Amino acid sequence: MSKHLSRRSTLGRVLGRTAPLLGAFALTSTAALAQDTLPQADNAWYDGARQALQERLERQPNTNRAKNVILMISDGNGVGTNYATRLFHGQQNGGYGDENVLPQESMPYLALVKTYNTNAQTPDSAGTGTAMLAGVKTKAGVVGVDESVVRGDCSQVEAGKVTPLSRIMSEAGKSVGIVSTARLTHATPAAGYAHSADRNFEDDSDLPEGCEVPDIATQLLDAMTEGFVDIAMGGGRRHFLPAETVDDEGSSGRRTDGRDLVAEAQEAGARYAFDSDSFAAIDLAAEGPILGLFESSHMQYEFDRANEPSLAEMVEASIKAMEGNEEGFFLEVEAGRVDHANHGGNLHRAVTDGVAFAEAVAKARELTDESDTLIVVTADHEHAIAFNGYCGRGTPITGVCYGIDNAGIAHNGEVQTADDGRPYSVVGYLNGAGSVIKKEAIPAALAMEADHDTTAANDDQANDVAMASGSDAGGTDTDSDAPAPIGETGDQVAAKLLERLDVTTETDEATGESTSFRWIGSRGELTQEEATDPDYIQQAAIPMGSETHSGEDVAVYASGPFAHLFDGTVEQNYLFHVMHHAAFGSE
Amino acid sequence: MEGRPEHGPEHREASVTAGAVKSAAASVAERRRFLRRGVALAVGAVSGAARAETPNGGEIRLRKLYEKNLSFTPLAESLDGEIVAVRGFMAPPLKAGASFFVLTKRPMAICPFCDDAADWPNDIVAVHTKREVRIVPFNADIVVRGRLSLGDERDPETGFFSRLRLVDAVVERV
Repeated sequence: MSKHLSRRSTLGRVLGRTAPLLGAFALTSTAALAQDTLPQADNAWYDGARQALQERLERQPNTNRAKNVILMISDGNGVGTNYATRLFHGQQNGGYGDENVLPQESMPYLALVKTYNTNAQTPDSAGTGTAMLAGVKTKAGVVGVDESVVRGDCSQVEAGKVTPLSRIMSEAGKSVGIVSTARLTHATPAAGYAHSADRNFEDDSDLPEGCEVPDIATQLLDAMTEGFVDIAMGGGRRHFLPAETVDDEGSSGRRTDGRDLVAEAQEAGARYAFDSDSFAAIDLAAEGPILGLFESSHMQYEFDRANEPSLAEMVEASIKAMEGNEEGFFLEVEAGRVDHANHGGNLHRAVTDGVAFAEAVAKARELTDESDTLIVVTADHEHAIAFNGYCGRGTPITGVCYGIDNAGIAHNGEVQTADDGRPYSVVGYLNGAGSVIKKEAIPAALAMEADHDTTAANDDQANDVAMASGSDAGGTDTDSDAPAPIGETGDQVAAKLLERLDVTTETDEATGESTSFRWIGSRGELTQEEATDPDYIQQAAIPMGSETHSGEDVAVYASGPFAHLFDGTVEQNYLFHVMHHAAFGSE
Repeated sequence: MEGRPEHGPEHREASVTAGAVKSAAASVAERRRFLRRGVALAVGAVSGAARAETPNGGEIRLRKLYEKNLSFTPLAESLDGEIVAVRGFMAPPLKAGASFFVLTKRPMAICPFCDDAADWPNDIVAVHTKREVRIVPFNADIVVRGRLSLGDERDPETGFFSRLRLVDAVVERV
């Protein structure tokens, strides 16, 4: 009843005091009637949406000063990839998947983010990391510098330097932590502390001759010894160790300047961890920086993880180590390998790392208070991932598409097939290693030599090529018994045929050996068991060794002070400005 | 999938019941569809059984040979010296006339030996083939049948160090 009253009073205000009372009453009662007596009013969907509406009506913007800011980036986890993780996570928990709500999706505010770099429609993580951390878009491939810098040109770095939010927070007395499952020297974490003309300058052996800007690993050590970065945990140990040093897990370092940055950090008072045990042994209450380097290169995929902490565990340790600072902290978290699994076309590892990221988000929310901590969850860019239809509810998101049941909810268990009669997975990539078209070698005996003699044998060989590659020579005169058309030599006919067959010959410059091949393929049979195997590579359209990013939007989810400023479609560099405003106001 | 229960069938049973209650016609249609699905499932079951991990003759995923900490699995230990079939991918580079290649669990687009910076996976199988290797695209599924041999070994010819290998191997496209 109170609902009706409040509705009437609102409408009364809208219509104005002079409006006839009767008219206002008639209007409100119709509206109220519509809400309560609709045939769908008892439907659970109806009720759920009404509750969602009510929550939003009661929502009040939080304009507190953010003592803490946590920026959580799942690399390559655009709206599409996040959707796949939502379904996978939900299905793991026994649901259909679609109805599942990931921890980041339960955060109150969100916006869509335009991720392009100043010179790239398709962004890379260095440019996007810099946009989020420093508030300006920049070129692809450069870290912590503006777009005036030509990628790779060290001489321009000093003039192009931009200051990351992490440093601003540090100068305001806050603790700073950087956590990633990728190498700590990789683009996204590096954007939190480094300035480099190229994201690949991870250690001194990567630097071009004459480059006077320190390599990225050295910049992290400097940031830790000067008191700018307090916690750094992730992979990439090799960039901190000399080439002649074998690390605790048996891998060699990469540095050629002989410096052992791990030892230098320890001498400067840092506590160091390299595996699960040494991670667990860190006294989080003690003073001094913490350096965790858990792998020679990137940390393992969650699916393969052994003897190293999870992302959620690193987030927990970081928050607990920094929460004692009364000024607060800034924590940059990256789930670095959702991106790598997408690059590999292996959805299973992308979504298992996606779930590990979601668990880290849940942990960050659990350990902090919305009243004083702004948590921003986003991705730096999306991938060339796409979704097929029409699949019924509960179809495994990493598997093949099952049909829709017209009489029920769950899929009908019938594997859907394409025009070629073959099943297809729900997820595909537009390009990558899963390419249906493959580079198939043609046996040398069948391949045509460019300088072949002009004999009927040419036609024979061309015919063999056509048959060997299963191609329909389609009406061309390839029959060796038939004479070549008037005016064309056998070579010319063969050359035309080869052109039509799209045969390419490559010669190895070193050995002089040539190989002939065709880009060709068809989709094979595919069972649900094969498609849901953790090592399955989803099918792709365009052949590429590594699947690419895409320029598509990503989402940003937020909770805490000024999270409501994430709204609409925004440029990626806007993220910095909300975080800065939440922490410092309009200063 | 690995032990993750399938969600479809349980829900499906519930919806069949609901359909039958609604109308007789729907129930008949349901039953027909259910029968069709039964056939499909039966076919699936047969091919599934053929792929089961049997010590000999069955096909093994490469990852089943290594534990996460890269020690050998009990399955690998139990098959040492046996003829097995391992599924994976042929990693580049391949020299014409070679009788050796590296099997990886997922496709490797680039040659890990050529580029020092490439991340070479640890869980691989060195394959010594019976005949000259016929080049297969790096991203084509293959099954390699050969005698499994465990233990650190450096190949005298290629200098390649391996912990686990297949010898006298034959390659088959899936």
